[in-house]
Amino acid sequence: MTSVPDNFSSASPLISLRRIGKKYRSPAGDFHALSDLDLCIERGEFVAIVGQSGSGKSTLLNLLAGIDRPSAGELFIDGANLCAMSQRALSAWRGLHVGIVFQFFQLLPTLTAAENVMLPMDFVRRWPRRERRSRALSILQRLDIAEQADKLPAALSGGQQQRVAVARALANAPSILLADEPTGNLDSKTAQSLLDVFAGLVNDGQTVVMVTHDAAAIRKATRSVTLLDGRLIGAAHD
Amino acid sequence: MIDIRCKKILRDAWLYRARTLLVIIAVAIGMIGAGALLDAWAIVQRVTTQTYKASHPVSATLHVQNASDDVLARVRALPAIAAVRARRFVAASVEGGAEKLIGEIFVLQDWNAQDIGTLRSERGTWPPRDGEIVVETSSLEFSGATVGGSITLQIGKNPARSLRVSGIARDVGLPPGWMDHVVYLFATPATVASLGAPVTLDEVQVVVRDTTLSRDAVRHIAADVKAELEHAGVHVSAVDVPEPNVHPHAAQMDSLLLTQGAFALLTLLVCAFLIVNLITALLVSQTRQIGVMKALGASVRHISTMYLAHALLLGIIASSIALPVAIAIARPYAALKSEMLNFPTLDATVPWSAILLQFAVGCLLPVAAAAIPVARACRMSVAAALRDPGVVTERLYVRRRPAWRGISRPLQLSIGNAFRRRQRMVLTVLALALGGAVFLGADNLRVAVRASVDRIFAGARYDVLFGLGSATSVESIVAALANVPDIARIETIATTRATLAHDDGMVGDAFGVVALQSGSELLSPVMESGRALKDDDVDTIVVSRRLAKEEPSMQTGATVTLTIDGRDTRVHIAGVFESGPQLLAYAPAAWFNAMRGDARATQVLVATTSKQPALQLDTIVRVRGALERAGISVTGSHLMRETRRAFEDHLLMVVQFLGAMAWVMIAVGGMGLGSTMSLTVFERTREIGILRAIGARHREIVTMVQLEGWLVATLGWCVALPLSLPMSATFAWAFGKVMFPVPMHPLPTVHGAAIWYLLTTIVSLLACAMPARAALRRSVASALSYE
Repeated sequence: MTSVPDNFSSASPLISLRRIGKKYRSPAGDFHALSDLDLCIERGEFVAIVGQSGSGKSTLLNLLAGIDRPSAGELFIDGANLCAMSQRALSAWRGLHVGIVFQFFQLLPTLTAAENVMLPMDFVRRWPRRERRSRALSILQRLDIAEQADKLPAALSGGQQQRVAVARALANAPSILLADEPTGNLDSKTAQSLLDVFAGLVNDGQTVVMVTHDAAAIRKATRSVTLLDGRLIGAAHD
Repeated sequence: MIDIRCKKILRDAWLYRARTLLVIIAVAIGMIGAGALLDAWAIVQRVTTQTYKASHPVSATLHVQNASDDVLARVRALPAIAAVRARRFVAASVEGGAEKLIGEIFVLQDWNAQDIGTLRSERGTWPPRDGEIVVETSSLEFSGATVGGSITLQIGKNPARSLRVSGIARDVGLPPGWMDHVVYLFATPATVASLGAPVTLDEVQVVVRDTTLSRDAVRHIAADVKAELEHAGVHVSAVDVPEPNVHPHAAQMDSLLLTQGAFALLTLLVCAFLIVNLITALLVSQTRQIGVMKALGASVRHISTMYLAHALLLGIIASSIALPVAIAIARPYAALKSEMLNFPTLDATVPWSAILLQFAVGCLLPVAAAAIPVARACRMSVAAALRDPGVVTERLYVRRRPAWRGISRPLQLSIGNAFRRRQRMVLTVLALALGGAVFLGADNLRVAVRASVDRIFAGARYDVLFGLGSATSVESIVAALANVPDIARIETIATTRATLAHDDGMVGDAFGVVALQSGSELLSPVMESGRALKDDDVDTIVVSRRLAKEEPSMQTGATVTLTIDGRDTRVHIAGVFESGPQLLAYAPAAWFNAMRGDARATQVLVATTSKQPALQLDTIVRVRGALERAGISVTGSHLMRETRRAFEDHLLMVVQFLGAMAWVMIAVGGMGLGSTMSLTVFERTREIGILRAIGARHREIVTMVQLEGWLVATLGWCVALPLSLPMSATFAWAFGKVMFPVPMHPLPTVHGAAIWYLLTTIVSLLACAMPARAALRRSVASALSYE
């Protein structure tokens, strides 16, 4: 069930994190991945989350994607209180509102590029069945990869696979695109090309939040947020 | 257009085709075994029920002196009677090569009656004509008779005569002749008269109008018929009422098929273990994919539907393979079973209901088996699924790493590896253990059956039994055999038939009574309860366990009224002895002969000096010759060794079947071990790459894989030992229900356990050979980069 905060208005930030904490239990003791984190992201922003390994970047991205829950604090995205949602509701919400791009692409190996893009549409059913392929092809076309639509992931290069992964993330026209080290597995030329794609999407009004180590990617973002040991230590605007 | 999720299912099945194939084979094997039995059971049920009912089986047989037409007319007039006929049964000896066979000739005035005990002509002419004879189908092969050929028969002391075999007919009311080693023949009164037998018909057989009546109700009607006959001045010496509408052997066959069905279900259970393992492995290898799909918005329903559909697809393919194979096996198997019941299998069509049931089970079994691992995978959070590194070391293992001194590190690694996926290991061990328990249980039952047969035959210390054509004085028999060489001892016995007179006026089924000679060395029943007979016992008998079971009033210590030779006699039951399935009683010869007023013998027991089969056959020929020269006709001779062998064969047929089921389970269990090991190797590709990178040679990798498999197989063997205890108890109980009670041997034999261990080791070596090879096929570099 989605709940809207009292002070929510159309002028409210798209993403709002208040005093967010996340700890993991392990045989070695509790590990605090995030502590007292406050962050707001506006619509149409291209935010880079940066930090060293183990600083909590991926944890933060997982919280934003609704694939993990905070241990403390409040998390609102587009008016929805993610902390109050059941797993089932989160799953439905995620399909509609979030697109995720993984570092290792994570394309389903037995589906073609187009089929990988159509799969989220099958889950969410926002578009009629007969329109899904044409929509998938249109997104692939937009990302300049339509000619590879009927190839299996194994037949594509890393850059092509990542473009397909981006296309899959855009399949259900989400309000937020989350990317976890999207250029981490690409050569610099391909990485640059992917960042251009992201920039183009942002220009079209898409909100993009990206976890990255890549300096070029950070430069491409409109804002960077730095984490250290699970805490926000700084923010910079271009 | 195929849904994308359907495409994923199909392509995943193809991508993991070795595992897919293994699941399909496992389900198909289980389905073929279970399906063939179900189909055979369905065919036999239909054939026996329809054919037996269509033959209008006799409801009751009343033994009289002479069943004249007037007598039959009186019986026919009774309202409860639908049909009546008069018959005579004549014992004869049949020339069958070196030995004489027992012949039973059924004589009817009118063989064309279609409303009682209908026979089906299979070859030649029908009905039998005067001077010709018709042979029952099931007696054909072992008697050597052919249509158009001749058969030599002798009744009592009358001269033997050859008769033309005019045809072959089947009587579904008779047990198979080959099984009982009896030649069943059909003839007219004139034909048996030409052999010297009386022409009068001495059995009145009836079919009751209401064929749904119980045996007790039919007994009451038979009592009415008896009263009617006695009112007409016809003495009835005995009344036989078989179980209505049930073939004499049908209950045994049903029980056998049901037992087989139970094992088929057990095999399916083992298959289910294998499926759980394989689906779990599939899901483990796709954990991240599941995480990705969930991250893309897939719900639990989406994921579970997808993987359950995958399992359903495997079930559909396996069922499609198994169904025709099961039908192909079931048809000849049903024909064999029908033949064992003496039924023709005219229609071997498998009912649709049986096919649909198998298809449903075949499709749902993988779905049911997959449900638990699918539910578990669906419960995993998206974050955990995306973080999944492949094979994770379980917590307990982290805490308690085995570090046994004196055991090499690779061996320690193998031991540790065997316990890494505990659920998978438990299912594999259980699959192997179930096969082992069935194997050991069947072995125990074999031992128990052999011990029972030993016990049953312990009291019969003669080598050959000769049946005489008529009662003969003991002195003339002894004199005739006085000079026959190679005879260690001769004894004679007298036999007759008796029936139990029930308190309510009903008459029980006839059973044999044997007069036991005082101080007999060749025949002394082994008592189960009560005491043995004494020489000075009067009005006393001992009864077989089967007779005591059939007639519950005939227990040790009871006094009952028996009708023997038409006279009612009160007798005390001193004890119960074991004689397998025989309905039999022993009485002391002194009292029995005095009571009957006849001391003559009807059978001769001979112990030979040589136990060699060839020499014993010579002795048989010499004894027969000596008796016949003395004018004593011999109706048949039975070698005790052969009788025992035939008896044992009948019993061990069940045991052999159990052994066969154990082999099927071993095959499925071996496949389970193979799949487990291949999954283990697959999941540890990178680890094996690391081992090879740090210097492990091929031999060491193969040894590790083989050792791990052997350890799982050994655990299976260990679990099979205690599991065989309840299995043995169940087998002994089931066997007692189907055949007769056998002593329980709960503990596995050393021999059985050793053979099973050897088999287990071979299965483990074979099952691990492919995974071990697969472990080395990938290059070290690719293994190291494997994720």
